[in-house]
Amino acid sequence: MKYEISFLLNNDKVTVEVDPVWTLLYTLREVFGLTGTKEGCGYGECGACTVIIDGQAVNSCIFPILEVEGRHVTTIEGVASKDGTMHPLQKAFVNEGAIQCGFCTPGMIMSAKALLDAKENPTEDEIKDAIEGNLCRCTGYVRIIDAIKSVSKGR
Amino acid sequence: MDNFTIVGQKIPKIDAPVKATGDALYIQDIKVSGMLHGKILYSKYPHARILKLDTSKAETLPGVRAVVTAADMPPNFRIGVMKDNPPLKSGKTKSIRDEIAAVAAISTEVAEEALSLIEVEYEELPGIFDPIEAMQEGATLIHEEVKSNILKMPWKLVCGDVETAKKDSAHIVEDTFSTQWVTHCCMGTSGCIAQLDASNNLTLYSNTQIPSLAQNDFIEALNAFGYKNRRVRIIQSVIGGGFGSKLDTYAYEYIAILLAIKTRKPVKIIFSREEEFFATSPRQCTITKISQGCDKEGRLTFREIEMILDNGAYTSWGATTPSVMMLPISSLYKVPNIKYVAKCVYTNNTYCQAMRGYGNPQATFAIESSLDQLAEKAGIDPLEFRIRNSNEPGEITPQRFKITSCGMKECIDEVAKRLAWKTKKEHKGNRGVGIASLIHVGGGARVYKSDGCGTIIKMDDFGKVDVFTGASDIGQGSDTVIAQIVAEVLGIPIEDVNVVNNDTDICPWDVGVHASRTTFVAGNAALGAAKKIREQILEAAGKLLEEEPSFLDIKNSIIYSTKDKEKSTPLGKALRKIHYTLGGKMLMAEYFYDPANENFDREFKGNLSVSYAYGAHGVEVEVDKETGQVKILNYIAAHDVGKPINPLLLEGQIYGGGLQGIGYALGEKMIYKNGRLMNGNFLDYKMPTVKDVPPVQAVIVETDEKDGPFGAKGIGEPGLVPTAPAIANAIYDAVGVRIKDLPITPEKILKALKEKQGRT
Amino acid sequence: MKSYEYHKPKTIEEAISLMGSLEDAKFIAGGTDVMVLIKQKKISSKCMVSLRNIDGLAYIDTQNGLRIGSGTTHNTIDENGHIKRYYSALTDATSRLGSKQIRNVATIGGNICNAAPSADTACPLLALDAKAVIVGQNGSKTTSLDEFFLGPGKTILSKEELLKEFVMPLYGENTGSAYIKHTRRNAMDLPILGVATRITVSLPDENISRCKDMFCTIDSISNILERLKDEGVKCEDVMIAMGVVAPRPMRAKNAESVMKGKIVSSELFEEIGNIAAGEAQPRDSIRGEAWYRTEMIKVLVKRALIKSIDRVIRPDEAFYPERLW
Repeated sequence: MKYEISFLLNNDKVTVEVDPVWTLLYTLREVFGLTGTKEGCGYGECGACTVIIDGQAVNSCIFPILEVEGRHVTTIEGVASKDGTMHPLQKAFVNEGAIQCGFCTPGMIMSAKALLDAKENPTEDEIKDAIEGNLCRCTGYVRIIDAIKSVSKGR
Repeated sequence: MDNFTIVGQKIPKIDAPVKATGDALYIQDIKVSGMLHGKILYSKYPHARILKLDTSKAETLPGVRAVVTAADMPPNFRIGVMKDNPPLKSGKTKSIRDEIAAVAAISTEVAEEALSLIEVEYEELPGIFDPIEAMQEGATLIHEEVKSNILKMPWKLVCGDVETAKKDSAHIVEDTFSTQWVTHCCMGTSGCIAQLDASNNLTLYSNTQIPSLAQNDFIEALNAFGYKNRRVRIIQSVIGGGFGSKLDTYAYEYIAILLAIKTRKPVKIIFSREEEFFATSPRQCTITKISQGCDKEGRLTFREIEMILDNGAYTSWGATTPSVMMLPISSLYKVPNIKYVAKCVYTNNTYCQAMRGYGNPQATFAIESSLDQLAEKAGIDPLEFRIRNSNEPGEITPQRFKITSCGMKECIDEVAKRLAWKTKKEHKGNRGVGIASLIHVGGGARVYKSDGCGTIIKMDDFGKVDVFTGASDIGQGSDTVIAQIVAEVLGIPIEDVNVVNNDTDICPWDVGVHASRTTFVAGNAALGAAKKIREQILEAAGKLLEEEPSFLDIKNSIIYSTKDKEKSTPLGKALRKIHYTLGGKMLMAEYFYDPANENFDREFKGNLSVSYAYGAHGVEVEVDKETGQVKILNYIAAHDVGKPINPLLLEGQIYGGGLQGIGYALGEKMIYKNGRLMNGNFLDYKMPTVKDVPPVQAVIVETDEKDGPFGAKGIGEPGLVPTAPAIANAIYDAVGVRIKDLPITPEKILKALKEKQGRT
Repeated sequence: MKSYEYHKPKTIEEAISLMGSLEDAKFIAGGTDVMVLIKQKKISSKCMVSLRNIDGLAYIDTQNGLRIGSGTTHNTIDENGHIKRYYSALTDATSRLGSKQIRNVATIGGNICNAAPSADTACPLLALDAKAVIVGQNGSKTTSLDEFFLGPGKTILSKEELLKEFVMPLYGENTGSAYIKHTRRNAMDLPILGVATRITVSLPDENISRCKDMFCTIDSISNILERLKDEGVKCEDVMIAMGVVAPRPMRAKNAESVMKGKIVSSELFEEIGNIAAGEAQPRDSIRGEAWYRTEMIKVLVKRALIKSIDRVIRPDEAFYPERLW
């Protein structure tokens, strides 16, 4: 049984026919072709699939698609400006050396963005709270914390 | 060429922007027209006889395009180091990850449903899950045809005379240490897409770390399938983490090829996270019996090690890690007399692979823990003990390693200074400090007949270059380092350098991204090619500017005379003049660099690497004596890296390696129970989170490595090599208990504390 | 994954009546547990009834005690200053459950109805003497949380019943509570075990400032314990709850009754720690060994109680002290 739902995806209104068993992640990747959001585990244990729904970071891999109805979803593809200029967080991740293999990066940036959108100058503990559910195997997290800090200071 | 403007700078990774925007395409993200999805059925038991395998129901499921079993594979086709692993198993399954059937279907969901329709009847057989049990006389043979569970790969290194040295030693310690299975936890899981063209040439989209060697493996496979003399092209996606996990070719890749042959469609196989945990190959667990001695002055006299490695049911590169373990065993500190014997033993467990450090962390855990015991027995401060025995430049070690640059003492000094060793050593209260050092290959490692890498550079009409390198980037930043080297030599901005590193049709040969060799070997290859093209530019520009080429230099894309300021031309303009003229040419250069290192001889001796990397880690811990929990208060990781080409990326390797090492030391463990993985998920496998990061300082100790590109040595692996023993030593210093079995869990500490209390 | 019907009722009544009329239906709230079980094919219901869109299921009411709607997310609870101050044990749990992404979505009702022995909010709710309000087709009933759990994954809820809210008594300035989650990692982890305590104390007025001083300056538990007995801190009321030490989250009732009415001291803590450990029935699992869990009950009961007392004595400073406890 298919259901038709509408929601805001990166500020564009979209209407799509979905199967209730789909997750938001599956719909983003397979229906909309937005492959920037990654699946690292599929069970909400690694954060690679993090997107922002109505201002809050969530794991899209365990988010039922029908619950997105009427909501505002932001993915990594919606973070840079329309003209392609990278968001300050993206620039900071690049410049501070916060990216190695990069697989965790989109989810990490979304978690960081949700934090900074709600709080301009978070403490280091708040930064760690925000990204504690985003696993990274390459960087040891040090530069990621630096990158997020650099943006909060720069605001 | 001093005063570098690009080399030595903290330059952001050139592939970072596409990763930050989500545009980078990993294997998960790649689609090929007409693509089918493959899924693999694994054995239900770690050791069982397959009595019946019926795929008929699966075949009739709508959307299924092919179901394959061992019967579809070429007979006697085996993969792996010992050719003991059929990609699809029949008869007996030997481990829980044994592949017994596979499906290609129009979607992953249909493929999964089809797997559930395959009917298999097993007769479960008693398994052997303990290597010591497997070594016993009369133990069930894992591979009946090879007559013994002990692998025919005897590792033995003898230097000097250990027995005499024992008699002459003032102090001797002996103990046994063991290490656990840990896994790479690449955030991007394994996967590939196999595609055959009409002439049966294969294209494989892959996240391999060894494109050139994989190409050979798959050519061999096509031959076995009856497609003789076909071409294989490996296209690497952006790779979501490697750490050694992708240094071999795996059954799933051969299964994808088989499914592509059966369906004549591209077939994609992507591992789920569960598969990534149980069906990829972890770091091997070891049991190490070690004895070391020293004289009255605290100089090491001998080191003797016997080691048993659980090989699992099949053989991949894990079985060859003793070759790298020999490196610290023979050459970490000055030890004149060495004896090392290692046995790899077949069991019904998972089989092992390369993982960052390639055996070195296991060996170093035993050596450096034991060294602290010896220092204590000799009554010498552990840090002082290490300085006394430190390696030095110019040394030739018992295994015949020629030590060129060596900053080991300087690394130990940095640790002592930054940790305030002397003060902390006296201050107690459940706090303690520990140190451990490392040696690793830093200038390639000749484990194959060639340790080389090729590079081709072409230049366009505007002074922009394309660099085609064999080197693979798995996130460490080799593309950036190569671009820096080329830009520096050619006097052009780094933005003008495009590095192509992912296609065997285009890129020259390389042995693979392993052994911390890429900056050194691929860097030297890029340096060689860049120098050649620079010569061509200056030669031609000399004619244009009427100047001796030796007086010409290039900076900021301007060719100018160092003698006569009037004589200069923009690089692009010169290039166009060279191109658009009768008999003109476009500039291209190629270079193949193979370091002057040696394969081991029959006695496992020889100068494996052109240079060696050193380091020392120091750590201060606090132990909660009531819970057994360890808190790292301060972590110093000092590394001798030659001259850093990019400190930003280099420190990234140290931070990242360091935290992997902390995971190895304190928490990570694949819990296998009778051959089954009990914790194959991110909740129960305790990979460190951001909240597990201690205060850490990465310290770069510069030495000048004459053979390295711009003086550089390798740094990919060293970051995690001495972590576990440094922490174990600190815990001992804090509360007086030595944990000899990794990981160091609160349970083990508490138990040891209670035992100690019982004794006193 | 087999597909299913997905219903999004707007009211509690509608949700309950759907459960009554649909065959093979299951509630889904935040979905952080249910979706995983669906993906693992451990749940394959034909119908899912979502609780996310029901008005009046997500609320925090702090008038006259505390009422928390079952649809309230952990993050919402986490950010509530009143709960942090007067029901601190609950904040200790919600702040360390899963990750930020999970806390943003997962509900407290879901955490409890999932009935895992490791459920983070179960221990604090037990210690805070929470009652569960259950709504069914024949109206609502209130039950103590202690009676709510039947075993791993099992509760007293029938298919057509819905857990509406938790109700907790009003606690005054002389009551403090704490939850200690003992984990291997510092984030994204399930507890090896968890202990929550709530204690109401009285002490002579003249000792208050000295006691405060002690908590501010002494940083070792043994030293605190050494001095605490001289301060005349009397336990008027106490509840101790433990997780992952039995098939269901449980109270250490014997320990509680021994402690009530006594002046706290090092010896008393040791005694009740041992009693509590004796009440538990921990098992060996891949997440922890039974002997270790038993040992840790002794340690954590003590630490949670000290932390609870600290919160009475230093209500403004002692929420998350950077201490060993």
